[in-house]
Amino acid sequence: MPLQLSFQQQSFLQEEEKTLITRAQTDSRYFAPLYERYHDAIFRYVYRRVDEEEKAYDITSNVFVKALQALPKYEYRGLPFSAWLFRIAKSELYQSFRDQKAQRTVSIDKVVLQQVVEEWVEDYTELDKQRLMNSLQKLNEQQLQLIEMRFFEKRSFKEIGQIIDLSENNAKVKTFRAVQKLKIIFNQKE
Amino acid sequence: MIKILLDRNEPSEMEVRKHQNFDQILAAYQYQQKVNNPWRYWFYLTLVCGLLFIV
Repeated sequence: MPLQLSFQQQSFLQEEEKTLITRAQTDSRYFAPLYERYHDAIFRYVYRRVDEEEKAYDITSNVFVKALQALPKYEYRGLPFSAWLFRIAKSELYQSFRDQKAQRTVSIDKVVLQQVVEEWVEDYTELDKQRLMNSLQKLNEQQLQLIEMRFFEKRSFKEIGQIIDLSENNAKVKTFRAVQKLKIIFNQKE
Repeated sequence: MIKILLDRNEPSEMEVRKHQNFDQILAAYQYQQKVNNPWRYWFYLTLVCGLLFIV
């Protein structure tokens, strides 16, 4: 669960982060604190989307190398630094899917899957779970991403928007539509 | 076709740290910088031409 910070704490962290970024832009060795702060989150984001652990390590490593390469051109535009890293991770992931170096994977907790199904059907069965998994296959990539981030990773709409380059409101609307689509596909199979 | 994995074990933060660290990333970045540097090929050629010109 994301840590709730006060406005003062958030602005202090933002200022500290800006200082770290400025230092890292002049000397890449100073990127270490930023790497330590975000490496785990980026690794997990990648790991949940690829089928093999080793590939997740490779892609994560590429993400940080690309980040170091692009860092001198980085400009703060109101988006958190983590969103910038997640966007690089997203682009690296899709590159590896295109090159067929990795298989697009969705990692789901059975409990979360059950919670989603239970909202739609009264008596949950194992068959419903399988139906939902089959329905997920029929969504387009953006719809799948939205459902994945919102329900399986419990991210806020703000964070989702920052990662996939949408406004918070737009992320909300598109997620709602993705859920509607998923429900339609799920019910078609009855 | 997407692959759906249920209740997948995730490596702990310690395991991830053991597997990958900043020094490796920095080394990979520095190697790429070196390889992508166009002066890598032109520096010595320019130097030799310069010396020949002086001589």
